Amino acid sequence: MPNFQIGLTHFLVISSLLFGLGLFAVVTRRNAIMILMGIELILNAANINFIAFNKYGQLGVDGQVISIFVIILAAAEAVIALAIVLNIYNNFKTVNADEIDNLKE
Amino acid sequence: MNYYEIIFYVFAVLTVVSAGVVVFSRNIIYSAFALLFTFTGVAGIYVLLNADFIAITQLLIYVGGIMILLIFGVMLTTNVTNVEITTQTLKALPATIVVAIVSALLVSTMVSTKWAVKDPISVESTTINQIGELLLTKYLLPFEIASIVLLIAMMGAAFLARKN
Amino acid sequence: MLTQQILDGLSKFYPETILSVTILVIVFVELFFKKKTRVSGWIAMAGLAAAMLFTFLQVNIPAQTIFFQMVAVDPFSYFFKVLLILSGFLIVLFTFLSDEIRSSEFKTQEYYALLIALTLGGFLMASSVNLLMMYLALELSSLSSYVLAGYFKKSNRSSEAALKYVIYGGVSSGLMLFGISLIYGICGSLDMFAISAYLSANPVNLITLLIAIFLMLAGFGYKISAVPFHFWTPDVYEGSPMPVTALLSVSSKAAGFAMLIRFFLVAFQNAGHPTITTEGLHQYITLPGLHWPEVIAVIAVATMTLGNVVAIWQDNLKRLLAYSSIAQAGYMLLAFVVVSPQGISAMLTYLAVYLFMNLGAFFAAILISNKYKTENIEEMKGIGYRSPLLCVSMAVFMLSLSGIPMTAGFIGKFYIFSALINNGYIWLAIIGLMNSVVSLYYYIKILKNMFLIRPQGDTGAVSFGAGYSVLLLALAIPTIVLGIFFGPLTKFAEYSVQIFGLK
Repeated sequence: MPNFQIGLTHFLVISSLLFGLGLFAVVTRRNAIMILMGIELILNAANINFIAFNKYGQLGVDGQVISIFVIILAAAEAVIALAIVLNIYNNFKTVNADEIDNLKE
Repeated sequence: MNYYEIIFYVFAVLTVVSAGVVVFSRNIIYSAFALLFTFTGVAGIYVLLNADFIAITQLLIYVGGIMILLIFGVMLTTNVTNVEITTQTLKALPATIVVAIVSALLVSTMVSTKWAVKDPISVESTTINQIGELLLTKYLLPFEIASIVLLIAMMGAAFLARKN
Repeated sequence: MLTQQILDGLSKFYPETILSVTILVIVFVELFFKKKTRVSGWIAMAGLAAAMLFTFLQVNIPAQTIFFQMVAVDPFSYFFKVLLILSGFLIVLFTFLSDEIRSSEFKTQEYYALLIALTLGGFLMASSVNLLMMYLALELSSLSSYVLAGYFKKSNRSSEAALKYVIYGGVSSGLMLFGISLIYGICGSLDMFAISAYLSANPVNLITLLIAIFLMLAGFGYKISAVPFHFWTPDVYEGSPMPVTALLSVSSKAAGFAMLIRFFLVAFQNAGHPTITTEGLHQYITLPGLHWPEVIAVIAVATMTLGNVVAIWQDNLKRLLAYSSIAQAGYMLLAFVVVSPQGISAMLTYLAVYLFMNLGAFFAAILISNKYKTENIEEMKGIGYRSPLLCVSMAVFMLSLSGIPMTAGFIGKFYIFSALINNGYIWLAIIGLMNSVVSLYYYIKILKNMFLIRPQGDTGAVSFGAGYSVLLLALAIPTIVLGIFFGPLTKFAEYSVQIFGLK
């Protein structure tokens, strides 16, 4: 009889699924913005981990502070990445990562 | 099932299903809007984990900031009047298999690992006080460095995006 | 008490503080200049010089952590700070002398501010003892390098390089963060000392730990461009402005190595005492059941072999140097397989030597593209007769990179291979030697084009200004001198092996 009491494992399974979906977006999608969304999913998965471990391991609020930093960094990265994507669009008129291949061996 | 469990499953389903839509949708606009629901669902999960401040931060920064950026990015880089807003996928089958294996491994590890779980003690109603205190003591240096990171991000993005 | 602790931390944090202030000053001062000026470059140099000065003042501070166990001030981080400042300084000079940047229409205040930010990120990467701090430092240096890679925003090549860099970088840092979150779950802390203490006192689920470590390796591997996280390297190196490529190949890589060494040695050592083997060499103890040195060995062999083999087919000098720098990272990783102070000091020696020879090679490439407007090796036929000084220096750098005796590269490789042999990894040393022989082929190919084929068409001598020659010699002479008088360098490297918290 499995345990239906909501515990740490439930949250970790959600984060693993988010991670897997994010990874899938990253490896299969060609659109740079889609890849960015995949990265955001992975970062969210990591954040759920931090906060869940924090609650169930009785680790104070360190995990929550860490997740604030992660959110900050995610925002910074998204800003830079989108600026680069817009710039690419201005130059190439496409944001599909594999159509942009001037640099080849 | 008590309320806690019902709310948990509502948010869990919201998060995972909308994340699935993000990843599998062929239309990038749908993906972007589905991501909005994923972020909201994650915020709900934070509330269930006693992280009220993080939940609000998540809503403000992700839903209010990053999402808007992403949607702007989609709108600016895709000709919206054009019907073809699809994003083709690449080498889908091998990727599906690999990712499925990775996820299955991860889920089974998560379930089988004996994490250092302690008995829950009564929690304070809000964590803002403690977070504020930690940010200015133990995490003072990361806090300051984060400000430099934000400065660099702002400067870099402004440089790349502005017309000379 | 609390204030005292923070003030004490600040007093040992001057170099980083100076770099931060330099960023702000550059941004502010350039507001007053309408046209392109070099002022921000000079400010950057002044800031780096001041940071160097205050770093030197830290030499006698006993190893310790500051700011509530966030960063360590120890001989190990000292070594990397000196390396990073030297490299930053040289890159500013390269930028002054690069026609590519001079002719661009963009103002340069962001360029120099980002360059300093990258150096600051490297400082923190080399000294953080907390995984959160490490991740933050990694992102600081990555974010600035994304923008630097795309600095010529009108150029297709440059913006393509930036896109590839940001996508690969974002994914690997995301994977790394997920790994960090698993480590937090296993050990309950992100502090490396707490992780080490927990791992040596408690049984842990090995598979979970391994998954976490592999995910974290994605972040490290991407920074040092090790296989299989190297995909971005050739494209980014080829597309970025040349001084930026040089910066990425040295500063980013060095900081990545610092982070890798500190994390693996501090977090995964047992709390036990160092054992003394029969040769009297100290050996760091690693976790039982977790054979990460073997994992590193596989990555090292794959990295250098791939780098060297693919480099053979390259015609573009920048791309060739990109693959060559992947191979060089492989050699340095080899030294890390020997988990002993001898191996680490060999690696530090190699890094210092690599700074001169690799920056030298890139500077020579900058000069060639300035004067001959080409990056293609086939078009460099006979230029050895037209600009002898440049091409002789290039020869020195190439021979040093391949590890010919009497050059600094030989000393670096010699220490790495002898550390391997001393610790029973003879097969690894043999693979390394074979790789060096392969690498000789493509380095010599460049020299062959320069010297053995008579120039056709225009054969007039092409000379450079005095500044160029001085800088070229300033890189070429150490490359030779360090090959002969290597005593001080190896002493410095052996001293710098002292990592805080490592027993």
